[in-house]
Amino acid sequence: MIRKHTRRAAKAAFAISLAVAIVLGGTARPAESKSSASPSITLGTKNFAEEYILGQLYKQALEAKGFDVVYKENIGSTELIDKALTSHKIDMYPEYTGVIVQVVFGRALSAKTAAATYALAKQLQEKRGFTLFRPTPFADTDAVAVLKSTATKYNLKTLGNLKNVPGLKLAALPEFRTRNTGLVGLRRNYGLTNVKFVPLAGLSPYQALDSNKVQAAAVFSTDPVLGPTSKYKLLADPVHQFGFQNVAPVVSKQLVASLPPLFRRTVDAVSAKLTQNAIIAMNKAVIIDKKTPKSVARTFLKANGLL
Amino acid sequence: MIVGDTFRPGIFVDALAFIADNPAFLAGKALEQLVLAGAALGLALLVALPFGIVLGHLHRGSGIAIGASIFARALPSLAAIAFLLPVLGIGFLNNAIALAILAAGPLLTNAFEGVEGVDRDAVDAARGMGMSAGQILRRVELPLAVPLLMTGIRVAAVTVVATAPIAAIAGGGGLGDVIVNQASYRLKGVLGASLCVMALSAAVFLCLVALQNALTPKGLVRTRVVGDLPPGKELQ
Amino acid sequence: MDDDGPVIPDFGEGSSCVTDNRTFCWDWAREHWGDTLQPAVLQHLWLTAIAIAIGFVLAFGLALLAHRVRRVEHPIGVGAALLYTIPSLALFQLLVPLTGITTTTVEIALVAYTLVILYPNIVAGLDGAPPEVVEAARGMGLTRRQVLTRVELPLAVPAIVGGLRIAVVSTIAIATIAAFLLPKGLGYPIFYAIKLPEPFKTEIYAAGALAIGLALLCDGGLVLLRRALVPWARKGGA
Repeated sequence: MIRKHTRRAAKAAFAISLAVAIVLGGTARPAESKSSASPSITLGTKNFAEEYILGQLYKQALEAKGFDVVYKENIGSTELIDKALTSHKIDMYPEYTGVIVQVVFGRALSAKTAAATYALAKQLQEKRGFTLFRPTPFADTDAVAVLKSTATKYNLKTLGNLKNVPGLKLAALPEFRTRNTGLVGLRRNYGLTNVKFVPLAGLSPYQALDSNKVQAAAVFSTDPVLGPTSKYKLLADPVHQFGFQNVAPVVSKQLVASLPPLFRRTVDAVSAKLTQNAIIAMNKAVIIDKKTPKSVARTFLKANGLL
Repeated sequence: MIVGDTFRPGIFVDALAFIADNPAFLAGKALEQLVLAGAALGLALLVALPFGIVLGHLHRGSGIAIGASIFARALPSLAAIAFLLPVLGIGFLNNAIALAILAAGPLLTNAFEGVEGVDRDAVDAARGMGMSAGQILRRVELPLAVPLLMTGIRVAAVTVVATAPIAAIAGGGGLGDVIVNQASYRLKGVLGASLCVMALSAAVFLCLVALQNALTPKGLVRTRVVGDLPPGKELQ
Repeated sequence: MDDDGPVIPDFGEGSSCVTDNRTFCWDWAREHWGDTLQPAVLQHLWLTAIAIAIGFVLAFGLALLAHRVRRVEHPIGVGAALLYTIPSLALFQLLVPLTGITTTTVEIALVAYTLVILYPNIVAGLDGAPPEVVEAARGMGLTRRQVLTRVELPLAVPAIVGGLRIAVVSTIAIATIAAFLLPKGLGYPIFYAIKLPEPFKTEIYAAGALAIGLALLCDGGLVLLRRALVPWARKGGA
């Protein structure tokens, strides 16, 4: 006949899984209890390495000063993270000043300097309930890169020279296609009307260049693979289509009001240390030497007395 | 990647509107996906099917056959694509091979089980009639194995079609391009493209069921295989 | 030079294996086991365990219901099948407006997929008791509930464990995609590594191998479980 122990085992298994489900279900809920001392800061980042580093820098510095940080890494592109901000899913994230003006608010590039761009960005954000903390010394602009061999072949120095490339294929993050700082701008400012756009949804533009799938790709000017000895060349942007792009944390005014001034001071102290060389060094550590953003941020903060 | 649009019941209507507004675009993406899936399936058929049939005919290697199925299920599609990425770069080939590996599992297993499980009496009778091994395979084992073979092909095909969206992260194209790009196409686009993927999977499933019915020799009872999952991806 | 400039510390060079991005760098794997790989494995196990536990309870309940009320068996089955065809990438994104970018969102999707796999298998298992045996049990005076617990359920164990095997392995695989949304689980190192300017091979292979290994380990464990529960059954379940 059916063994007794099998029946018992089945019952036991069922009871156990039910219990486990209940227990796990209970603990799976995110911790609702907020410290009565101060509200938590929900800090988000965009979806690339430099943002992960910035996020970790601010997160760890704030936590060291006793703030409670809820960290939402890798939310997505500007469009998505701005939505997260305005729908109050996050309170704060590091953004590039030019991107605020041109992508978030869709304005054409008008500011002629980094400072003017920052001022304009701040003004625009403040109208809708957010503010900008102090900007970083470094700027990370979009840029278009080509292989040095391609540059030699078609004599490419500026973006306008891309007209010389027959059947031009350009790879970039998907949002590049519709942006004023992106394809739309290239068409308007440099007359590049015949470009085949190859969207990258999780792949590196350098990969696309290396595998000869495209002749040009949109990259960032603080990428550690760039530099005098790299095999890639950045094309000049005389019209400053890509604007000025220092980083400034966008923060909800409400959050600022509900936290002591130490909040702003801590963040600003971190930002002040982020020079071009510093960020490129950190990018190199993460992207080339494959350290984690968390450990790189920690090392940097410690070395600069911010932790 | 996330965020964003709020979830109202109207999102379904918006999604349908998205489909209605972009028929050519979505059809093009769907075609891309079918081509990729077709290539992957073709590759897998070329390799896994003969292998499974031969093993089944020889009544050898059942471990391999079962193992193939388990391994294919255990291999995350993301991992398959990521493994081949450094080797083959982005684009069609990388994704086709990755998906082919996924499809090979059910194909191999079912080909094996189908041929191996053919009624011994029938095989013996054929041998008694003086048929060679090759003739037995062609005239007895294969026709009788059709139900399981077709089930394997069907599971593999639907798996590949429904898993293809993930290929978008490695330049594979298809409807996945929309699904990973909520920034440009918004949530309604994501939902719209997903509905298209679901419709595509269902269509492939139905076509292959019809094909199976057409190919099954009359008078053969269709065996149901436990593990013949509901139409959809077997793994993602 | 401004004396307010930052100190740029030495972050430590990656080994030449790492900077050259050679096929597999054991030193990287060892160095980053604690901060990258192990947490990912644990998170992955956690995500899977919750999904299986909740999914199993739900599937079991629904299967019992379908077993009792035959009429709902088909509709539930069709509903489940439909759910399964939603691409996971899409389902995660669609749930975000409802439950945010949280583990809950991921779990809802994973539970749904688990449910879909387990339900038909449990139903098949419950229905699989030979009618003569059920008849005999009834004849002996067992109540309906007793028939269920003493006859049908034990006989259903191979099918249920078979379903669990498929569900566990599939969930471990699908959970890698959750990293598209949430930086947790073994999918996270993979997504991270392929997005670097040059996809970092070691991290990809390490995380991928761990995911596959985890799945195979669980599959093996469940086979052992089945042998322990129903030693007389041979090769039951897929």
